[in-house]
Amino acid sequence: MDQEFMAQVETKVVAPTESPERGAAAMQLKGVAVSFHGRVAVRDCTFDVTKNRVTSLIGPSGSGKTTLLRALNRLHDLTPGAKVAGQILLEGTDIYRGDITVTELRTRVGMVFQRPNPFPTMSIYENAVSGLRFNGVKKKSILDEAAETSLKSAALWDSVQSRLKVAASNLSGGEQQRLCIARALAMDPEVLLMDEPTSALDPIATLKIEELMTELKKRVTVIIVTHNMQQAARISDDCAFLLMGEDRAGELIEFDTTEKIFNNPIDPRTLDYTLGRFG
Amino acid sequence: MSIVIPPPPDFTTHEAGGAEFNSATPTRTWYHYVLILASIVFAAVSVGFIGTILWNALPDFEHHTGTLLGGNGWQSPAGPFGGLAMIVGTLETSVVALVIAVVIGLGTSISIVFLLPRRFRNVVATLVELLAAVPSVVYGLWGFLVLAPWMLKTVIPWLNSWPFAKELFGNPGQQDGQSLLLASIVLAVMILPTFVAISREVISVVPNDLIEASLSLGATRWQMIREVVLPTAKIGLFGATFLALARATGETVAVALVAGGVANVQYHLLYPGTSIASWIATEFGEAQGNEIAALMALGVLLMLVNFGLSLISRGLVSRQRKVLAVV
Repeated sequence: MDQEFMAQVETKVVAPTESPERGAAAMQLKGVAVSFHGRVAVRDCTFDVTKNRVTSLIGPSGSGKTTLLRALNRLHDLTPGAKVAGQILLEGTDIYRGDITVTELRTRVGMVFQRPNPFPTMSIYENAVSGLRFNGVKKKSILDEAAETSLKSAALWDSVQSRLKVAASNLSGGEQQRLCIARALAMDPEVLLMDEPTSALDPIATLKIEELMTELKKRVTVIIVTHNMQQAARISDDCAFLLMGEDRAGELIEFDTTEKIFNNPIDPRTLDYTLGRFG
Repeated sequence: MSIVIPPPPDFTTHEAGGAEFNSATPTRTWYHYVLILASIVFAAVSVGFIGTILWNALPDFEHHTGTLLGGNGWQSPAGPFGGLAMIVGTLETSVVALVIAVVIGLGTSISIVFLLPRRFRNVVATLVELLAAVPSVVYGLWGFLVLAPWMLKTVIPWLNSWPFAKELFGNPGQQDGQSLLLASIVLAVMILPTFVAISREVISVVPNDLIEASLSLGATRWQMIREVVLPTAKIGLFGATFLALARATGETVAVALVAGGVANVQYHLLYPGTSIASWIATEFGEAQGNEIAALMALGVLLMLVNFGLSLISRGLVSRQRKVLAVV
């Protein structure tokens, strides 16, 4: 890690707001910063993601929400020139330097993307079990059971159980996105990252996914990036507000329970944003 | 400095069905007729070309029924003119070349897109494009002067050290090295750039979304390539294969220089043979009468095969677009 970059990111670290009602942390971010070719995209991110809660990342475009989210399952590893500084702990293990392989990390931290992206050459069933197959599971009984459980968890089983062998591209956009959620859930992850999962969907499909998330958090910790303030207010328990700084790098402005962020924030910029005065 | 605000566009005079659109005169100026004429000339040339070839090939289809497809041996100048040696030779050289080119080419394309560091990527991609621009006679010359002696000295003794190699490839003994296998290797080098250029394109347009989705499920890079990228690009890769095959079947000069030019059906690849295109190129000079018709008939056959191959590859590429449009 080059000195200059470290000096840039070690400027200040916002302490996580203490909150007695929170439980154990699934993931902890300590001074996390991401840079591309030396240019800082997001920095100063320090907060805890509590187990079995939905944590939303909100902020205007360019504030680094998606960049931060993608650091959490090491998707930046693919991008040439990308560097991640600070610490990201999963159950206390540093995911970049600790004793964990990137493939193991990604089975424990699943991801749902902005656009529904089921594998076009696979059937619904094959999509649902694709993660298990990547990880060497071959036994049909295990795969069948995982497909049924995960499709049920994604509220998709009733509508697809009679056509599991059909290509996934035949499903509607909302169904495709729920299939992607099922595909991630089949791995039984501890954390599910969602990058604006409803931005490509119509209002009814959006509502279904939101209902699903409230159900999902009973078994998995959810971190969601959203542009939609109402969505963050409706579904998330905790909320991190990011904003682009003067040097065009995003930074964490405030982290707290969603209720406090929306009703009684400490920073005036948070209030301005949640009231829709900018962004 | 004053700011000039342009007036809003005035659509009222251009309403559909209005007077301006109904009158033909203002839009049809001289270049309209020049363009129409150009397309008529083009259509006439195409029809005339195909028509005259068919017309000149007709005597062969009339007098030598069956010999073109079934006959072996080419007796100049009286006949019979059997096309079997050329057809078999074209098939053998093209298919062997295709197998070599697809195996090496697919590996190259995957490396260019996924494995090589950025700076090597461009070097390899540029090399491939340079190879595509080399005239085919240069490939032929290189095959004859460089590859043939090397085959004689190194490849053939090595092949013969394997069991059953003599039965499979034949044992020509000492000669100048021209053979169907040499033609296949030269063809493979020639169609490699075509295959790599298209397959690289097809592989690189597989949406990043799918690649990230597979990695997010814990796939290794190799699993991502094998189980997501290649199946998604499959149809386009077949398209690239057919286009490369079309180039191999139609290649003339290079094959004429290295295949040996012997009009006998030859299943042992180490013996000399010939192909349709190279046979036409080497024989037309002394041909008269029925031999001209026979060569024309071979030309018709080659043309039809290449029409078919290019139609198939175009169909495959457009189907690949549809697959990607769903994503």
